[in-house]
Amino acid sequence: MAAVLKRSRGLGCVLLVLSVFTLGYCTTSFRRQLTVVLNPGSSSSPPHGGDLLHVRAVGNNDTLHFLFCSLGAPTLLLVHTNTSSSTVKMNWTQFLDGNHSGGLKVEPESSILYSTAIVFSRLLEYDDSNDTADPTSDLFPPYRLDNFTWSRLNLSETSALLCGAADSFTNGSLCLQLSVFAEEGRDQAWPRLLHTANSSQLGVWLDGVLPRAARSRFLLELQAVGGAHPLSRVEVYRSIDDEFTPSIFQVSRWVPSENSSSDVLGFLQWKPVAYRQPHPALEDATPCRHSEPQPQSGEATAATSRLIRAFYTEPETFGLNVSFGLAGDPFYNSTKFLSWTVLLGSGSPPVDSFSPLVLSMMAVGLGTPMILLLLGGVCVCVRKRAAAMAAAYEPIN
Amino acid sequence: MADYEERRSLLGEEDEGPSGGRPAANGPGRPLPPICDPSHLLHRVVVLLFMCFLGFGSYFCYDNPAALQTEFIQDLDLNTAKFMQLYAWYSWPNVVLCFFGGFLIDRVFGIRLGTIIFSLFVCVGQVIFATGALVNRYWLCEVGRFVFGIGGESLAVAQNTYAVNWFKGKELNLVFGLQLSMARLGSTVNMNIMGWVYGKVAESVGSPGHTTLGVSLMIAAVTCLFSLVCALVLGFLDKRAEKILHKEEGKTGEVIKLTDVKDFPFTLWLIFIICVGYYVAVFPFIGLGQVFFIEKYNFSPAEARAVNSIVYIISAPASPVLGFMVDKTGRNVVWVIIAVVATLTAHMMLAFTFWNPWIAMSLLGVSYSLLACALWPMVAFVVPEHQLGTAYGFMQSIQNLGLALIAMAAGAILDNRGYLFLEVFFCTCICFALMAVVTLYFVDYLKGKRGSQLFLLSCEISAHPSSYRYSLLPSPSSSRRRFEPVSLSQSQTPERSHFRRRMMMIMMKKEHTWSWASEPAGCTVHLRAVNQLPWGGTVLLTPPSAVICGSSHQN
Repeated sequence: MAAVLKRSRGLGCVLLVLSVFTLGYCTTSFRRQLTVVLNPGSSSSPPHGGDLLHVRAVGNNDTLHFLFCSLGAPTLLLVHTNTSSSTVKMNWTQFLDGNHSGGLKVEPESSILYSTAIVFSRLLEYDDSNDTADPTSDLFPPYRLDNFTWSRLNLSETSALLCGAADSFTNGSLCLQLSVFAEEGRDQAWPRLLHTANSSQLGVWLDGVLPRAARSRFLLELQAVGGAHPLSRVEVYRSIDDEFTPSIFQVSRWVPSENSSSDVLGFLQWKPVAYRQPHPALEDATPCRHSEPQPQSGEATAATSRLIRAFYTEPETFGLNVSFGLAGDPFYNSTKFLSWTVLLGSGSPPVDSFSPLVLSMMAVGLGTPMILLLLGGVCVCVRKRAAAMAAAYEPIN
Repeated sequence: MADYEERRSLLGEEDEGPSGGRPAANGPGRPLPPICDPSHLLHRVVVLLFMCFLGFGSYFCYDNPAALQTEFIQDLDLNTAKFMQLYAWYSWPNVVLCFFGGFLIDRVFGIRLGTIIFSLFVCVGQVIFATGALVNRYWLCEVGRFVFGIGGESLAVAQNTYAVNWFKGKELNLVFGLQLSMARLGSTVNMNIMGWVYGKVAESVGSPGHTTLGVSLMIAAVTCLFSLVCALVLGFLDKRAEKILHKEEGKTGEVIKLTDVKDFPFTLWLIFIICVGYYVAVFPFIGLGQVFFIEKYNFSPAEARAVNSIVYIISAPASPVLGFMVDKTGRNVVWVIIAVVATLTAHMMLAFTFWNPWIAMSLLGVSYSLLACALWPMVAFVVPEHQLGTAYGFMQSIQNLGLALIAMAAGAILDNRGYLFLEVFFCTCICFALMAVVTLYFVDYLKGKRGSQLFLLSCEISAHPSSYRYSLLPSPSSSRRRFEPVSLSQSQTPERSHFRRRMMMIMMKKEHTWSWASEPAGCTVHLRAVNQLPWGGTVLLTPPSAVICGSSHQN
């Protein structure tokens, strides 16, 4: 029996090694070259009122331009071009002026396949005195993020940190962290969203802000801006895999409405969870919900964000609110911290798959009894046959 | 023959005349009304009622944490790993106590005092637990669960001893069945009512919080108090019956010899692996189930509690039915394989699909009951009678050790890796059980093929040498159908009971020829006894109403 066990363990190892190899192959299949430039082409440093970060992610035969701007409401713009040589051309005077489009151009213009942008426009707060988590009533005057005082962009390798505060905040801040990736992977911190080389990740957190009521809850207003195919509907997928984001079995995707070609052009993807601690444990998770995307005035959005104004001539905008916390969950006041993470990318959104550890555990777990069964069966058959042979040659006396 | 005398005295009333017709100590010459007469069925039914409610409190309170999982975690500010410590602390004392519970009852306290003491432990443990929640001291909660654990398992042993003492040779199977059903009922009621209790308390206290939790647990402690009252009444009734019927105080009859462990056969170790691998994937899962159903299937808390308790609900009626089925068909190993595979399927459904969890949980409930019916009696097939006490004690001990460790591991896994990984982990545990049971099947099969297949003959002495009832048990995997006339009252045994040890077992060779029913009463059977029986190597069985008897032409 020991031999049997040993053998099956050997097979388990082979399976494990195999699955690790497969995964290793997948992760190294696609890489992008990243170039990060702060305020490209600007003579004065720092320019007035905020920064513009340009990350150029060059693939085999396409380029992704990520533009992150803190002039006005924080905005992330993603432009997908079909050549590996497209560039961003800035006209800073026009850009800062903020009255006309054309301050930022991606050239050659014909190479643009798709573009989309996400604007963090407002932070809303409401007094949930009855603990219903229903944000329609008792809304305080919203904080407009374009009126915030934003810090300089703090760059580190492929991520950039931006923090800001409203004038009425006595302390505390709202921070956004942009990460751009050269290859597939996931963050160490929850919610550990899977990202590809085609997506960027934005972490948003609200730290130490004094709420205006003891039972305050918050909402974040997001606006998705696009040219031809704006993000217009949110799909919620159920996923059995909560290995990377414990106890969360859903993924929300904000995608363009279905067009003639079936493939998705771009997406905003998140898991409906926020965390109430900077280094969260499972019990610090708080669910979040989103409202249905509503079409909004593109002109109003362009007025709040310099980047939108500069890039889009006729922006199409949809907006939605993400609300944090359900009825019965602790209020913001309990920890004075909330963090939420979202992916913005082009192409199809990444889909979680089982980790090699899970796959190998199942393979070994199910495989070993099967092998035991087989070997045992063979053993029994051989014995039976031997017994039958012996019986056949018995003398007849 | 001392052994026999003891048994006989336990069952002293068996041969007595019709009930109620005998002078009692306190009423000379005057017959007692049936309800007060210890030898009358009606009185025994009353006793049975108290016996069933004796365990109700401990089963009700055991799963209090599972029923109020979210409330515990929020009100006491815990994480899941810490929460699961509540279950671990229950199991720790029982790693040791499983060996000594029987000893304490037999030699130190006696059944009556022992039962009261264990009930007190349960009661005090639950009160400490509730106080811990009330004052928001988590360590005090853990102490409470520890004390509760000291009483809990030993109380189950005491309950079984009472049952054997009062119902041996009569309605024992039914009584065990009822006790088990009552235990499941306690768990079920707890799962479905505690949320409501908490809600009501929260309304009257004003807001949820550790005070509300503490008060709810104090209310739950009332069931323990109720059980304590049952223990006292039982003690009184038992004392009274002893006086009237001149019978002896009940004994568990357990003999634990730790040195036996080195003689345990390989097959017994396989059974241990099955036991641990299986149960650690069921009980800790139920402990964590409520939130799982809320998070994954968007159930309301009440519905989540209901689906979590379905395992117990099914187990209550299914255990006797499945036990009967296993008895009739034999082939315990095959049933265990079926139960383990069904459980694995249920866990995989929960892990990898969004199918309605009622399906998976019902399957889990049925397979859990099936396993209990098929696995526990199997121990009696593989060890000689004098080692049975040690084998069962050891089995429960490692089961508790496994439960304590896996409960902690499960909490930590959930906190860091989520439910999918937890379910895969449970699947792996069951796969270990599956490996062990497949191995057991083949080991048993190959042993059988060597021409010296061992059968077990067990006889139960009901009252008198002239009324032996005995029956045949085949080896675990062979069919029992070949021995159709056999009826064995005690093979359908609920888990945790210790009464199987009273069975005598004789191993004998396959070549013996048997003839059924047609033989006249008083036939002899020659058997090779491998373990030490009071009457030596060759057994002479002379049943007055012979259902079966065998004769050997060998030797």
